[in-house]
Amino acid sequence: MTDTYEFNTLIERWRKPRGRRAVAAVLFIALFIALVGVLVYATGGTSFVWLNTMYFPIILAAAAYRMPGGAAAALAAGLVVGPFMPLDVHTGIPQDCANWLMRGGVFMLVGAVTGLLFTWIDLQYDSLRQAYDQLAFSHEELRKTQLELIQAEKLESLGRLAAGVAHEVKNPLAVLQLGIDYLAISSAGDKAAAETIEEMDEAIKKADRVIKGLVDYSRFEELDLKTQPLNPIIEEALNLVKHEIIKEHIIVESRLSPEIPPVPVDRGKIQQVFINLFINGTHAMEGGGKLTVVTSQSLLTEGAFDSFSPPLTQFAPGDSVVIADIFDTGTGVPEDKIGKLFDPFFTTKPVGKGTGLGLSVCHKIMELHTGWIGIKNRKDGGAQVTILLKPEKRDVSA
Amino acid sequence: MKKKILVVDDEVSLTHMVKRGLEATGRYSVMEENQGNRAISTAKQFKPDLVILDVMMPDVDGGDIAAQLAATHELKDTPVIFLTAIVTPVETGPTGSFIGHHTFLAKPVQLKNLISCIEKHTEV
Repeated sequence: MTDTYEFNTLIERWRKPRGRRAVAAVLFIALFIALVGVLVYATGGTSFVWLNTMYFPIILAAAAYRMPGGAAAALAAGLVVGPFMPLDVHTGIPQDCANWLMRGGVFMLVGAVTGLLFTWIDLQYDSLRQAYDQLAFSHEELRKTQLELIQAEKLESLGRLAAGVAHEVKNPLAVLQLGIDYLAISSAGDKAAAETIEEMDEAIKKADRVIKGLVDYSRFEELDLKTQPLNPIIEEALNLVKHEIIKEHIIVESRLSPEIPPVPVDRGKIQQVFINLFINGTHAMEGGGKLTVVTSQSLLTEGAFDSFSPPLTQFAPGDSVVIADIFDTGTGVPEDKIGKLFDPFFTTKPVGKGTGLGLSVCHKIMELHTGWIGIKNRKDGGAQVTILLKPEKRDVSA
Repeated sequence: MKKKILVVDDEVSLTHMVKRGLEATGRYSVMEENQGNRAISTAKQFKPDLVILDVMMPDVDGGDIAAQLAATHELKDTPVIFLTAIVTPVETGPTGSFIGHHTFLAKPVQLKNLISCIEKHTEV
């Protein structure tokens, strides 16, 4: 690949030099012609060696600027050696201009033919270059598709496994939950038993959270898209995590723009995204902090989300988007881990606190909506998660 | 008078726990049925005030049982609660919610939430 690149660079530099290289090339050719002219003059126009040397700058000019270059150099060469051409090279007796014209004609012919030859080489090169570029592009596409297929297959297997495991584990969890609720009734008044039951209850909730994450992750069925306002979905999600927010002493500021247009979304799934994000933000601010939710509409500008991970590829500059930003004042994410946050089972939370599936689920849901979710650390601490959705109806495949 | 609850689930331990938990309150009389294909005949004999149904059972689907209950004259007004692992508490809320024409509760459910859901459907 490097060899090919260097070869290409060499050819590109040789072709039609521009700027300082063009000045250098023209000067070199002009000096060459002038020097040969002087030598022809010094030898009285009798030296075939010097006359034939004139073909070098003509060929060089044709190589650099194709037929026009070759013709121009041939004309210059003809004009330079012209005054000496009427002399007969054998006898030194002045002759008519026929010889000069013939020599000039040969210069022109060589310049033009060489120029045409280089033009033909150009065409061949361009055609090969195009074929090479197409091949390289196809190769890269094939590689990406292969990786995506492998990833999709892995996720599908994981999804099937998760759904099966979740169903099988939820039944025994239900038995345990009802069992400890029953024990709580029958052992009312026993403080030690009550504490034990509370710990068991918490353990069941933790296990259920993991299972819920697995179920969510495995649910990639069709979307139930309905064009609807986004703000009520966010408000409802905030309401659902109210308990967690209050428990962690978190202040919520919500600045939901009434101006944003409705978006085609699966209400349940998008709500799940916000619930996951609010819970993540809450967990990042143990002991208190501020969670800010802002919605807006905007036209995308070039590089506006370059500082986020993963890169924004779903939208192009100029696209109209509905934006939901979630800011927290928590610990932020270590920079070396930010690129892995959307990977399944990757978590920065303490053991037992996170399942490592929350953000993967969010990412998958946003992909299904042909939307985007990105995260970055804020300069003044904490993290910012941003969601982009297209306001109008788009082709969405599950 | 105690309300009669029929619990249909292939998990024997689960129906046991539902029975114990509900009967411990002193307000319910619970009948367990662990074979889905016998649910209708058991319901005809027991005449429950409410049926708690699992959805995914090896021999018959919970939805089919609900449809057969609705098609059976003496049971057609019996309320049904689906207690299932195929939904999540986020979708159902802690005390269940209507999905389609039925009430769904997500497993694992807390006893107090199960009771609250039953009360909603059996109060006159």
